Amino acid sequence: MNLKEKLEKWRKLEEEARKMRESEADWEFIRKQRPRVRAALEYYIVTGDIRTSAKIASMNIEEFRILLRKAKIPVVV
Amino acid sequence: MEFAIADTCFLIDWSLWRRRDTLFKIFKTVFVPETVLNEIVSENTIVWIADAIAEGKLSLFTETLDIVNEARRIVEKTRVTPGIRGVDLPEAICLVIGLKRKYIVLTENRGVLMSVDLLDELKEVVVWRALEVIKEAYRRRLFSEENPLSIFREYELDTHHRFPISDLERVIYELKRKA
Repeated sequence: MNLKEKLEKWRKLEEEARKMRESEADWEFIRKQRPRVRAALEYYIVTGDIRTSAKIASMNIEEFRILLRKAKIPVVV
Repeated sequence: MEFAIADTCFLIDWSLWRRRDTLFKIFKTVFVPETVLNEIVSENTIVWIADAIAEGKLSLFTETLDIVNEARRIVEKTRVTPGIRGVDLPEAICLVIGLKRKYIVLTENRGVLMSVDLLDELKEVVVWRALEVIKEAYRRRLFSEENPLSIFREYELDTHHRFPISDLERVIYELKRKA
């Protein structure tokens, strides 16, 4: 598999994961959060990047992982 | 396959699985970098880690300056390489140790998976997610269940983790073919 094919494979996996996060998320819970946390959860749904999301939320990575469970947002890896 | 090194994302999900101690039937020792340990805050995870360290199943790995410096270089490289999700220092430390010591890197971080797939200098690093760990445990007949899918579903239920559909289907196919 060349680099272009690998990048395309990852793009498809990222897209599949994003759809799973978006469809399973508890949007009512997300909308009730304070702006910084809501922005972090929405960023996570789009990107799947837990570290940057945790930084946006001003949370430790494990605290943010707990929040993801409360928001019913799956970690797809 | 005696040694592994685990990153934060792997530990915080894996520790929620009701059969989390299966990990210690696969590896002689699982190392946890101090940088990773410092990120663990929940009682569930820290108690599990502390107990496992006391029993000699987990072991702390103190990073040396050369490992940290090499990890910082990897962090920068992932951030300037198009198409790769950047990794942070704790994951990069695991990658460097995995490369230098030939330990299996346990992760649930997609940036780590992409880095190993896309960066030539990391191509020798063996990376396992929970998917591969459970697959190996099933292959070694560490579970009584005949249907491997039920074990993966149980993991998803306990941790609110999801395996990519195509990866899970491939692993189930491989396990059933070898059974």
